[in-house]
Amino acid sequence: MNKIYIYNGDFVSLLSLIHYLISNNIRPYNIQNNEYFPNLLEEIILVNLDNNEEVIKKIISIIGREIFKTLYYVFLSADEKKEIIIFYFILNGFKYRKSVIYRRDLKCVCETLKISEYVKHEIHKFKGFLRFKELENKVLYAEIEPINDVLFFLSSHFSKRLKNEYWIIKDVKRGILSIYNKKKFIIINEDDFLISTDKLSNEEEQIQELWKLFYKIIGISARKNDRCRINFMPKRYWKYILEVSDER
Amino acid sequence: MNVKEKLSILADAAKYDASCSSSGSNRNSNSYGIGNACSFGICHSFSSDGRCISLLKILMTNSCIYDCKYCLNRKSNNIKRAIFTPEEICEVTINFYRRNYIEGLFLSSGIVRSPDYTMELMIRTISMLRNKYHFGGYIHAKAIPGASKKLLKDLGNLVDRLSANIELPTENSLKLLAPNKNQSEVSEIMHYVKDNQSRKYVPAGQSTQMIIGASKESDLDIMQKSENMYSNYKLKRVFYSAYIPVNKDSLLPSLEKPPLVRENRLYQADWLIRYYNFKVNDLLSEDNPFFNILIDPKADYALRHLDEFPKEINKCSYYDLLKVPGIGVVTAKRIISSRRNFNIKFDDLKRMGVVIKRAKYFITCDGKYFIGNEFFKKDFIVSNLVLEDKLYETKNVEQLSLFSE
Repeated sequence: MNKIYIYNGDFVSLLSLIHYLISNNIRPYNIQNNEYFPNLLEEIILVNLDNNEEVIKKIISIIGREIFKTLYYVFLSADEKKEIIIFYFILNGFKYRKSVIYRRDLKCVCETLKISEYVKHEIHKFKGFLRFKELENKVLYAEIEPINDVLFFLSSHFSKRLKNEYWIIKDVKRGILSIYNKKKFIIINEDDFLISTDKLSNEEEQIQELWKLFYKIIGISARKNDRCRINFMPKRYWKYILEVSDER
Repeated sequence: MNVKEKLSILADAAKYDASCSSSGSNRNSNSYGIGNACSFGICHSFSSDGRCISLLKILMTNSCIYDCKYCLNRKSNNIKRAIFTPEEICEVTINFYRRNYIEGLFLSSGIVRSPDYTMELMIRTISMLRNKYHFGGYIHAKAIPGASKKLLKDLGNLVDRLSANIELPTENSLKLLAPNKNQSEVSEIMHYVKDNQSRKYVPAGQSTQMIIGASKESDLDIMQKSENMYSNYKLKRVFYSAYIPVNKDSLLPSLEKPPLVRENRLYQADWLIRYYNFKVNDLLSEDNPFFNILIDPKADYALRHLDEFPKEINKCSYYDLLKVPGIGVVTAKRIISSRRNFNIKFDDLKRMGVVIKRAKYFITCDGKYFIGNEFFKKDFIVSNLVLEDKLYETKNVEQLSLFSE
């Protein structure tokens, strides 16, 4: 039977499990979160562990804070193999310490760097492509449908940029909301917070029209280049981008 | 006239300016303000011509006392004229910014009454945006040639980037096509900004723009002008803007299409000069004053200097790596940091981000060429590179038609 080790879905518990596996010289077939359904050839193994901060401190002291952050980006990705990639990365990190990041001859290092770049790239894209609309009560509201779990890093960006506004960002696919109250943001399940988003403020429609007008005018028709536009702004984002949403 | 009508006139009149970047500044707003500037730059949208939109790009007014031949807003054109009030610009900027449509404002203007009067109007607007609306986002303003130093000082203290357009590569062309402008007024601005630039004054630096194909200069003339400006005035960017005929004039060329490939080659060469340690003389010469339209400037250089290649990946210097087509700044750094830890093989290169289909002709790994060493010949490489580019183009067109269905 292939042994699948289970963690409870958060980063700290994944790290605690990985630390346990490495200390006991166990090489898991795979690591999955607690929503995983095994197939017939797989055996689920639950290890009872305290999530302890010491493990995190130890890992950081070995691989360094920067690389630790890189692993967190990997953890936020939607990649199905991310847990086992992080496992092998940390395993090699214990061997090569901080220079592990340069070992691009190792598959786990290449994958880690590739996936973390991909997540950072998506966060960066959404910093530009996210669109707020103003609700009746002056709250700014945006919906996104990212591939990776970018809500935390996006929220931290907007809590600096729009620090004196109330805003809400919803990750539609994951069903989670980030709510900002002019001081800090919290991320909660959509079922825990009911909002009505149909009623817009008085001037909202007028401003949206003004923006669409600007968007149309600013393109130079003698240089029209759809290939280039789609390369930079792939169609999967368009649903939530006001100025192109009706071009889809 | 309402704001909507003004916007349609004054955004239309501003769209031919190529600059859109919003990078290089780390500004923050005060505790009751709005906005910050992100040093990486953020693109918020892409227009139908594929250019990035990050700033609300508008003119204060399209009225102008000048009569530059190539410009839509020239005095002799019979078009609708409009002028924004400072309040209108502030309101639109803030409303767009709150909704995350934009990174900030790009304000330029036609010349009304005098250069000083025009700059004062712009300063009043931007000062209102910074001090009354407490806007901490990115602002790029055009400096008006001929305005006083005092105004240049005030404007620079409010904005992230200032730019003054050189417009054409030589004084002669400028005299011919923009009789009211002269290069020395533009260079004076660049000098002043260079001497005063700091974290408070024009923190994101200055840039400029040249129109390509409206006058007779060669690529060599253009690149030499750029190289001079980069070294004399520490410019952040020179933008090249393919000439688009908006006016009919016997002094202007009649073009069917804007020279976009030429513009692209100039940008590629500009990049090589700023980040890859190339000199204009490496790329062009009096005998060879135009870029090759078929092959990009870096591959063209490699093919003309084949005796310097192939480069050995595990030994050659950082600057040698940068000379290899298909290897960029990031990849070159990765190769350097990796090869301290292990011996790089062809298989590793792809994972490092090297564009193998270009680079493989110009490198060896541990002395090995990707196929037999006897193939390292100019004819073989040229035909393969041109073919690769052609295949790439067709593939892209096919992918596009798949997407749009």
